[in-house]
Amino acid sequence: MSKKKTKVKVELTRRDFLTVAGAALGSIAAAQFLTTGPLSPFSQLKQSQLEGVPETGHGAATGKYHWGMVINLDTCIGCEYCLRSCSAINDVDADKPWNIVVEEKSSTGSIFYFSRPCLHCQNAPCVEVCPVKATYHREDGLVVMDYDRCIGCRYCMVACPYDARKFNWEIRNDENPYVPTYGTPEVERRPRGVVEKCTFCIHRIDAALRSGLVPGEDPSANPACVNICPVGARVFGNLNDPESTISKVLEANPTIRLREELGAEPSVYYIPPKEGL
Amino acid sequence: MATVTEARKPFSYSPGFLAWMALIGILLIIGLITAVRVFSQGLTLTNMYNNVPWGLWITIDLSAIALGAGAFTLSAIVYLFGLKRFQPIVRLAVYVGFIGYTCALLTLVMDIGRPDRFWHPWVYWNVHSVLWEITWCITIYLTIMVMEFLPVITEHKFFDRMPWTRTFANALHKAAPFFALLGLGISLLHQSSLGATYGIVKSRPIWFKPSMPIMFILSAVAVGPALTMSLAIIIEWVTGKRVIAHDILRMIARFSGYALLVYGYIKFWDLAAVTYYGRTPSVDLALFTLNQQTPYNFAFWVGEILIGIVIPVILFLSPRFNRNPALLVLGGLLAVIGVVVNRWNVTVSGLFVPLAYSPGTQYVLPPGRYFPNMVEWGIALGIIGYALLMLTLGIKFLPLFGDKEHS
Repeated sequence: MSKKKTKVKVELTRRDFLTVAGAALGSIAAAQFLTTGPLSPFSQLKQSQLEGVPETGHGAATGKYHWGMVINLDTCIGCEYCLRSCSAINDVDADKPWNIVVEEKSSTGSIFYFSRPCLHCQNAPCVEVCPVKATYHREDGLVVMDYDRCIGCRYCMVACPYDARKFNWEIRNDENPYVPTYGTPEVERRPRGVVEKCTFCIHRIDAALRSGLVPGEDPSANPACVNICPVGARVFGNLNDPESTISKVLEANPTIRLREELGAEPSVYYIPPKEGL
Repeated sequence: MATVTEARKPFSYSPGFLAWMALIGILLIIGLITAVRVFSQGLTLTNMYNNVPWGLWITIDLSAIALGAGAFTLSAIVYLFGLKRFQPIVRLAVYVGFIGYTCALLTLVMDIGRPDRFWHPWVYWNVHSVLWEITWCITIYLTIMVMEFLPVITEHKFFDRMPWTRTFANALHKAAPFFALLGLGISLLHQSSLGATYGIVKSRPIWFKPSMPIMFILSAVAVGPALTMSLAIIIEWVTGKRVIAHDILRMIARFSGYALLVYGYIKFWDLAAVTYYGRTPSVDLALFTLNQQTPYNFAFWVGEILIGIVIPVILFLSPRFNRNPALLVLGGLLAVIGVVVNRWNVTVSGLFVPLAYSPGTQYVLPPGRYFPNMVEWGIALGIIGYALLMLTLGIKFLPLFGDKEHS
């Protein structure tokens, strides 16, 4: 019968105690050594990174620049040129565009057009969940991918609140319908098995900065979607500079951000249509 | 050193055994062929797509790890809480745990887009990621289980010629309480972090709640030992030898029963909070959409609650039923089904509900559509074949039920 209780006698001798205490202290010392010592992967990080500033909070953009975008839902005509140019320049699979453009209805029944690149959140859920830091914040606040490091676990896609991430399910050999009408590819296709997303055309930003141009003010330094927009519904620039065009647009207009309640702090702002949302 | 191995009969290849091995062989061949196809052509062969990027394989990972929880629970009971009478089942529990964890790792390697980079989490750390923590914990815990189990392997006749292995094994065995302590800590961490994997995702209203990690660990602690108990009885049926005293198995069943009650209690309040006291429009809408698209309510009430909790609790706790080994096995298997259904429900429920981020009212992503296809089932069969093979080989060749430390 199992009802009979066994008497459990716990004897803790001094020797046992010392063994356990020694093991505990040893583990603590080993952990301390491994995390702060020269073997630690943290040892190569800068102090600001060690303090966790770049990964969380508003301060992901720690440098001189914080690239952001304003999308004017009032002027957007829904021509999809941003989607097409983006897909051509970044050689994106036409079925899984980085930029989406959709017809939308406001609560008052008026029609407007809603488009969405990656929002480059300053408190990005995708950056937080990536097990290998394959997606991370640059100093200029951009959320970028390291395609050589991504293991393809797709947790970032699950965590992204804005559906901005796409996976390469197979080797790409599709024909890009937007090339060459809307531009020619400026970056390589991504390999099979990694997650990809909008980069705000970092290749253009970085090249422009090297040659002394100012992204946001100089068209050749802008993301493809901003340049091609026929009605100027997209404004790109440095949010950290109060004199930049984007800062002035933000100051002059009421803006919203998507799913603000999540606290992801997107770098993309929307000017609502005049008829209301 | 009178080892049990000496007493073991040379095994016979009975027709039943050969048929069993043939079945395992077929499962393994299906799995291998599918695996080669997936490795060469990519995950496009599966039914997963960008809106539902996780599916059956993640469910298998979660279930296998939860079902392996008997290892840490029973090790802790024996070595830390000093209930030595459970000693005879620890070896089986650790072995089952080992099989569960290796199943999970094999499936994970299939599931990630770049299997060649499986080692990245160990080199490139993101200490903020629960998935990183889980990867580390699983690796460490697998090592712990190997350490716990090595002494059993060295008892095999094969190692008679190498006495040093026995010395090493003895030293390892002396450290069993330490491994049990470490295993307990690591398991408590990652079993609950698996729930946190979903619980922290604030973009998905169904998942985003603090009860997720608690429910995961409670269900694992309840069902892991129940699976070990059921397997012990099934092994007894198959081999015809009484391997573990039935009063011990009954006590494990009762432990699982009480743990399932606690799990059910937490689940009840979780349900009450999510759908009643703490209901929010987004969760309401999400659950509504889910029930329109899938038989979610049915799967929850019948699969998780009735089959997974209520019936096993009755079978495990009622003195009328828990004296009957067949009913204990039935209870164990139902509890296992309950946990698998739960992991499936958790994984796909959050993904089926479309993200709503547009500022307007009209545009909503289409609800997810997903059911595993032949390729995904093929891998699942292969994994099951692997688990059965390991179990069979273990029963045949390893002294899983030796308790020489008592003699």
